[in-house]
Amino acid sequence: MEAAALSLMNAVPLLAGVPLWAVTLLLIVAAAAVILVFALTFEGVGSLVLRKVAGDIQARIGPNRVGPNGILQFLADGVKLVLKEDIIPANADRLLFKLAPYFVFVGSFAAFVVVPFGVGLIAADLNIGIYYVMAVTSLVVIGVLLAGWASNNKWALLGGMRAAAQIVSYEIPVGMALIPAVLIAGSLSLQDIVRSQGGLLGIFGWNLFHNPFTFFSFFLYFTAAQAETNQTPFDLPEAESELVSGYNVEYSGIRFGLFFLAEFGDMFIVAALATACFLGGWNVPFFHVGTLPWIWGNLLSLGVFLAKAFTMVLIMMWVRWTLPRLRVDQLMRMSWKYLVPLTFVNLLGVSLWLLVFKGKGIPGMIASLFG
Amino acid sequence: MGLKEYMNDIVEAVVTTAKGMRITARYGVDPKEEVTLQYPEERWEIPEGYRGFLHNDVKKCTACTMCVKVCPVDCISLESVRGADKKMVLASYDINIGRCMYCGLCVEVCPPKSLKHTSGYEMASAARGELILHFIAEDAAEIKARVARQVAEAAAKAAEAAKTAEAAKTADLSAVAAKPPVVEPKAAKEEEKKPE
Repeated sequence: MEAAALSLMNAVPLLAGVPLWAVTLLLIVAAAAVILVFALTFEGVGSLVLRKVAGDIQARIGPNRVGPNGILQFLADGVKLVLKEDIIPANADRLLFKLAPYFVFVGSFAAFVVVPFGVGLIAADLNIGIYYVMAVTSLVVIGVLLAGWASNNKWALLGGMRAAAQIVSYEIPVGMALIPAVLIAGSLSLQDIVRSQGGLLGIFGWNLFHNPFTFFSFFLYFTAAQAETNQTPFDLPEAESELVSGYNVEYSGIRFGLFFLAEFGDMFIVAALATACFLGGWNVPFFHVGTLPWIWGNLLSLGVFLAKAFTMVLIMMWVRWTLPRLRVDQLMRMSWKYLVPLTFVNLLGVSLWLLVFKGKGIPGMIASLFG
Repeated sequence: MGLKEYMNDIVEAVVTTAKGMRITARYGVDPKEEVTLQYPEERWEIPEGYRGFLHNDVKKCTACTMCVKVCPVDCISLESVRGADKKMVLASYDINIGRCMYCGLCVEVCPPKSLKHTSGYEMASAARGELILHFIAEDAAEIKARVARQVAEAAAKAAEAAKTAEAAKTADLSAVAAKPPVVEPKAAKEEEKKPE
């Protein structure tokens, strides 16, 4: 950010007298605002799309009253959430109860910082990008557990405990499934990982097609991440039919809204990580985006990235409305007995592959055969 | 659990998930699968023989009380008086549609086929009294009084006619015999009966 601030000060003579830290701070705030606006818009529109997809899959229509074809439904929902009474149960732990939604929302929103939207469109290209995402989304566990505990409600507590158990268990397969991408790129930075998938191979440069192990790795990641974000086949923390709505039963108004937004935020983070690590990120096939002028290159790469990420989100919704919820023991068995061993085998396989074939993937080898 | 079973589990999970997702995708893509009826704007076609609200064509009704007797929940009530032409006249015909269970027995049993199910199914009211359908707008007491008057007039006319006829008879047959008239006492009896 400081480098960007310096170049901005050099470019705009008006800013010459302003101290560097002030410009940097301004830039940080501006970037945060842009990302927040994007996140909120995505979450709003995402909720509408989710409901429309649910309607289509369940042979009904879905929201169609607010605005033409119901496209303004999310605004109505948002206004409703903001205007609703903010109820705090009499016997709740007031401080923790108020704190919990922020943990959940911050945990999901902070991960947007390292999402590589385009060639130069990343709020902070951390050299520990993936590690940072894994760490910061774990904040959600604390928030969910706090919410369950502070509500002083047995359903909420059960939901919170389940969420904690689930997210902690699935953290391992998610991390293990992402490591192949890190191994191939040789860096934890998401930008580096995306760049490693570029080149003239087109979509065959993607990590998804690098070798058979990364192919499986993608699906393992997708499954585990679906569980980590409490999406429907694994939505035990909020299991409507058994726990009413889980850890957020006692929440209303804007506090509930934060949980709701965080859920959609997590969805996007999962989709964005899958895109960046396995589907080539913002790379435009057969084309170097970096050679274009800054604006056009970024716009093009942003479009490509969002198209891939939104497709992933749609697939998540599709899965969500297809599969029935697992039992708690099935959920745990799936994580510890299936996903964890499989991701470890995969990791081993990718490592061996890279060792044996000197880091080359199958498409790369085929390409080198033909010169 | 052996390795074979373990692999089988994984394959089964993948295959069944794919199967399920294919089904939902078909539903998601095909717009014809939508079954929602946008009720106030769209309405379904009422099938033949639909048992909606009841309607009684009071002009055809003979006040036979068959419907009252057959109704399992006693939601039909009627009052009637015998009119001047010896036919029953309806004084009131009420159906408590809030109590009706739409079994259709009353319609089946109705001899003049005046009681019918309509295709109506929409009704809302703030009070239960509003759910009682009145098929005769006029007040029952008024109708009874009017019919009684008509009957009395008719009886008076009949009596007069009888008297003149008798007078004529007696004038004609005075020479033959002094027989007591047969019709007169009967008419008098009826006159007493009817206003009840």
